[in-house]
Amino acid sequence: MSSTVEVEPGAAPESVLVTADSCENFEHMNSSLEEIKNLIEIKQAAEESTIETVVSENLEETGNFSECDDDEDDYVQNSEWTSRKKQVFVLSMAGKPIYSRYGNEDKLAWLFGVMQTLVSFVQSTNDDCIKSIHAGDTTFVFLVKKPLILVTVSKTHESENQLISQLNYVFNQITSTLTLTRLNKIYEQRQNYDLRRQLTGAERLIDHLLDFTEKEPSFLLGAVQCLPLASSVRNTISSAITGACNKIKNLVFAILLANNKLITLVRMKKYCLHPADLHLIFNLVQASESLKNSENWTPLCLPRFDSSGFLYCHVSYLSEDCQACLLLLTVERDVFYVLSQAKQAIVEKLRRTNCLEAINNSLTTNEETCLTAGFTELRHYLYKCKSTAQFYQPSLAPPYTLEKERLLELYKRAHQHLHCSSRPLKLVFEKSSKEVVLAWDTKGFELYVVFEPLIDTTGAINLVGKLLNWIKNREDKLFHLNAPTF
Amino acid sequence: MAHRKKVLLKVIILGDSSVGKTSLMNQYVNRKFSNQYKATIGADFLTKEVTVDDKNVTMQIWDTAGQERFQSLGVAFYRGADCCVLVFDVTAPNTFKSLDSWRDEFLIQASPREPENFPFVLLGNKVDLEPRAVSAKRAQLWCQSKNNIPYFETSAKEGLNVEQAFLQIAKNALAQQNSAVDLYNEFPDQIKLTNTQKPSGGGDSCAC
Repeated sequence: MSSTVEVEPGAAPESVLVTADSCENFEHMNSSLEEIKNLIEIKQAAEESTIETVVSENLEETGNFSECDDDEDDYVQNSEWTSRKKQVFVLSMAGKPIYSRYGNEDKLAWLFGVMQTLVSFVQSTNDDCIKSIHAGDTTFVFLVKKPLILVTVSKTHESENQLISQLNYVFNQITSTLTLTRLNKIYEQRQNYDLRRQLTGAERLIDHLLDFTEKEPSFLLGAVQCLPLASSVRNTISSAITGACNKIKNLVFAILLANNKLITLVRMKKYCLHPADLHLIFNLVQASESLKNSENWTPLCLPRFDSSGFLYCHVSYLSEDCQACLLLLTVERDVFYVLSQAKQAIVEKLRRTNCLEAINNSLTTNEETCLTAGFTELRHYLYKCKSTAQFYQPSLAPPYTLEKERLLELYKRAHQHLHCSSRPLKLVFEKSSKEVVLAWDTKGFELYVVFEPLIDTTGAINLVGKLLNWIKNREDKLFHLNAPTF
Repeated sequence: MAHRKKVLLKVIILGDSSVGKTSLMNQYVNRKFSNQYKATIGADFLTKEVTVDDKNVTMQIWDTAGQERFQSLGVAFYRGADCCVLVFDVTAPNTFKSLDSWRDEFLIQASPREPENFPFVLLGNKVDLEPRAVSAKRAQLWCQSKNNIPYFETSAKEGLNVEQAFLQIAKNALAQQNSAVDLYNEFPDQIKLTNTQKPSGGGDSCAC
């Protein structure tokens, strides 16, 4: 299969984002933490051989543990609790509860003890590390990242790698709130520490992050989507930011985003932002309605950038009439007013140059669907340009407007085919009665396409060629091709 | 700092096999007793919510197996405990003699920050049974020699002193928690930017 496009759409000489192969992103999320400061020996867990235990006994046995609880507190007997598709737990190495996605973790304290025992039993008897347990349609995945243990119990069809990636995001969210240095210090000083004291208010961010990772393809792809804008407009916005900020010392990143899409990212020379860190920022903005009402000043650790310390972040929406959110990140902890003035200058400049209007227009215009773009046999697709860690997707069209979740499952399945560590495929063409899915991994891009069910291979390949050309012709608008610096 | 009203305490119960550790816990949590002996496999976990001095406390109780073959789990179980409950059988002198080794083993494995002040509680169980082999005096003397460990004589069967003993356990653990270390000083939070790309890039490093 070959396309007529010589350079993949969305490619640029420089990237605003650290370009992580999405596969690397899943398996070595943790390694960068180590690279940054050599703070903890995370790799150990990954390098040690791993065991996979297959549990054949009926899981109902665990019911024994809880016969004592009052009925209303007894989650194991509670069908609403047990029917959840995916549970997520975080605990300390001492087995103390830190977070439970559903249900009160105090009432589940006994269950956290069981989880800690499973981890340490494998550790102490074989000097090994438990990775997963498979029982029927349920997968238990363990991620031991000192000083925490993260566990997911999933009835979804996601792969182990995808589940681990989600747990890594949760770990990073906690790190983002506390910094890894502080997290380690806390447990060095007190193994019995109840970390919930430090995370008050952050549970909300973890809740939102979990929903977010399950709804947005950006997490699967390790990429971000840009708000479509004419390149001249995007450049004007970038230079408005540089103009207002280039005299400010120690400003590391300026990020403008709206509706979960990136508008621009200006960075200090020599520093790059990792998509995983940018996802945490998107999560913070999406999960915090309160940011809309005022200018905010908050410490924020970006674990892939530097897990040992905080950046200080000026967060505000541009104006009442333009709901784009501007974040100015610095290492200085007391420059709120300087950044506040810079923000005013940026907004004034954007208003004069009609950029606010352009942003609003883009926000209110629906993306094209495959149909409106003239691809009648194409239903939906994800296109990721690897070198810039950006992706594009068209608007949802029937039947997926009502089946968003199933569509993402199709993509997750195809993604797993391309990225499973044992036998990664380059090209997948899968036909079912409902649709045809094509997934293609090349050096420059990844493409996932869903077709009408009756299409044949030749037809699909022709369409993919046309699609790549279509994207190429619009790359200026759909992607952030410059990497502006202060 | 915004304090949670709720506190979670990890409580470990240790002692020779068949001194009544599981029975004490069952009496305390479920108010139930059974004469039938069922050895604990590895460990059993229960949760109990209590109010101590206007504070809501969740006790995460780790009932360990007394048999030696489970001792390899020790480190894992003891790590980060807030209180350790030692149990012996007042009718079985050997179970009393083992207390020193249980206590030492716990302190070695758990390595708490201040071993001298770590909260232990001693329970002499089965006081409803005859003949008595370890006197209250002997037990109290042992407790005094260990930096005044609180001592309770209990009967899991009759529910005697069980509630009081666990209340004391919660109080001692809480007192320990309140002597918290200062987590806020000396943290170098600020990132220092250097002129050169620092190793933070590593495998992630961008091509810029």
